[in-house]
Amino acid sequence: MAKVVPADTVRLAAKKRVPRREPGRTLFIFFCILPALLFLAVFLYYPIVETFRISQMKTSGLSDEVFVGLDNYRKLFADEEFLAGLRHVFSWAFWSIVIQLPLSFFIAFGLTYYSNRMSNTLRAIFYLANILPSAITAMLGKMVFAPNYGILVTIGKVLGWKWLASADFLGNPKFAFWSVFIIATWAYSGFYIIYFMARMEQIPRDLREAAELDGASALRYAWSIVLPDLNYAIRICAVLCTVGSLKLFDLPYLMTTGGPGYATSTLGISLYRHGFINWNYGKAAAIGVVIFILSLVFTILQFTFGKRKDE
Amino acid sequence: MKKFNVFVLACLLFGLIAAPSLFAANVTLTIWGRDIPDDSADHLYVRDLIAGFQAKYPDIKIDYVALGDPGLMDKTKITMASGSGLPDIFQTWGGSVMGGYADAGNLFDLTAELKSVPGSLAAQQAMTWKGKIYGVAPFFAVAGIFANEGIFKTYNLKVPTTIEEFDKVCDTLLSKGVQPFACGEKDKWPALALYMYLTNRYGGDASAQASARKLAYNSDPFIKAAQLYQNWIKKGYFGATPLGEGYGDAQQLMATGKAAMHITGSWMCAQYSNPEFTDQTLGFYAFPTFKSGGVGTAADIMGMTDIGFAATKVAASKKDAVVKFMKYAMSVEACQSDPGRICSVPGVKAKSSLTAQASAVFASAKTVTFWWDQDLPPSVTSPLNDTIQSFFLPEADVKKALTSFEALCIENMGPVKK
Repeated sequence: MAKVVPADTVRLAAKKRVPRREPGRTLFIFFCILPALLFLAVFLYYPIVETFRISQMKTSGLSDEVFVGLDNYRKLFADEEFLAGLRHVFSWAFWSIVIQLPLSFFIAFGLTYYSNRMSNTLRAIFYLANILPSAITAMLGKMVFAPNYGILVTIGKVLGWKWLASADFLGNPKFAFWSVFIIATWAYSGFYIIYFMARMEQIPRDLREAAELDGASALRYAWSIVLPDLNYAIRICAVLCTVGSLKLFDLPYLMTTGGPGYATSTLGISLYRHGFINWNYGKAAAIGVVIFILSLVFTILQFTFGKRKDE
Repeated sequence: MKKFNVFVLACLLFGLIAAPSLFAANVTLTIWGRDIPDDSADHLYVRDLIAGFQAKYPDIKIDYVALGDPGLMDKTKITMASGSGLPDIFQTWGGSVMGGYADAGNLFDLTAELKSVPGSLAAQQAMTWKGKIYGVAPFFAVAGIFANEGIFKTYNLKVPTTIEEFDKVCDTLLSKGVQPFACGEKDKWPALALYMYLTNRYGGDASAQASARKLAYNSDPFIKAAQLYQNWIKKGYFGATPLGEGYGDAQQLMATGKAAMHITGSWMCAQYSNPEFTDQTLGFYAFPTFKSGGVGTAADIMGMTDIGFAATKVAASKKDAVVKFMKYAMSVEACQSDPGRICSVPGVKAKSSLTAQASAVFASAKTVTFWWDQDLPPSVTSPLNDTIQSFFLPEADVKKALTSFEALCIENMGPVKK
């Protein structure tokens, strides 16, 4: 026969089980996290707050600061270079998600699904571009697209294709963005390939065998089993693509210095030029704040959107 | 005996510890420069300047830091903004960038010490801001036409002596498959020199008036110069891919005889007269004037400091050492190792015929206009180069581009005063 215990007794027992707060222990925990907290406060939170403050000032960095409120932001949205940079980072983010991620997915799937002796070598080859310093990647990019001596132009000369031989990929505003983007796709996809492969290799072998027994083709297996399983990984990569695009600086700057005109300018390049070349720290800080807010918004949006889908 | 040995050992120990400090330099000068002091032809002056100064003044230690380009400008700017961690001396082209540092109270006034140092007046002016001298400029650069003598001879042409002659010469060169001008406008600044000359030839001191806000940057001389520039670009005088080529590419076009002329600074003299770099024979010519209708004269030269040094406020406590360094930097002894720059120190002989020709152009100058992108307020200099780059886009409206630039100048430099 079951023993009946009054509810109050149960509540009291539960209350007793809650560990007592020990002031010494709390202090110990506080001191343990204090160095990390201080580090974050000094090198992360303070600069963010300071950037917000400077973005409301008119200053060259050398002169006195004059409070101008939101004037720097107002001017930014009339600034041709900033607007071009904004357009380009959004395009870059969009095309990265639309081109780089599917491309990386298919390469990763191919390397995993048709795994053989070459897979590891190919994985290393694909990843190699990702570990090259940006300066080297940019130099290689220039060698491919340069007029007169570039690889593509040389191929055009050899084949007698005048349109290719006289093409100016980096100097023509219509081609410059895509030339840089192609090099970036080559350079950055290696990371996504490795990331996707790592996740794909964790899918139980049984699932693939079951799919094969059911007569599923490789494409069907990729679509119905691998893709849903990589949902979270793809979402992470999409966030990385978007945030990376917002901060984009090195490749476009090294390949084209943001030109011709503002054809390959980005928010990062615009920030650098306003701050370090034009000596306009206030405006540069305002661009920094815009990048920060956009990164934050997109990260929250992408995770919230993904979460709802999961549920 | 034992005590004596201990005494000797103690003396040795003391000697080992104390000797370095006894013989050590009394003063250390921290200098931030652009070039690495190695054996490269471009760096010989800096290399010999440091080695020579160190040998002459062993009591002054030089702590030279090569920061490259744009590392030197970026680091100097950041340090000047914070006001701490400044070097004693830094390399600079002078002009408004140096002036900004002076206005912020970060530089050390050396007017009394340096005003009588022998050197060209233009070089001294470049290192002067609001009447105060902050440093020295041992080398000066002027812009002119580097012309491939061989190409001109082959096609029986003469380097233009009037701007009107350019069209005929360039059309002939184009018909022979030679690119008339090398430029390298991908880097944005290389097109400036020609635009400055054209503006001067159309409007005389228009640039000085515009920077003093007596004239707008979208006034006649600026627009006419831009229209002529764009017209030449459209005719293909700068090749089919001027925006895809950097300054290095332009040098290669000249070095390999694919381009006939390069309008740029005299800092290229050493390289263009180096047989290891090019087998072509080049000459240096002053930029011509209009045969009729122009205002500027051939004696109006565009240029600025090539190598200069300025002292910061932290050098005040080491004034003697700093002045010694500045004077040594302006000495024949220090300057004679440079293979190609125009030296502003009297008595230094030009090492190549190109440098001699460039020096002659500099000597003939009645006015020297400093590079606009170094002399105008930094807030408008990079937009200026962007504006000039936009002339290279065939569909660009130069009037509109200059009007946008003028709007930026109004915001940063004030409106034109009537």
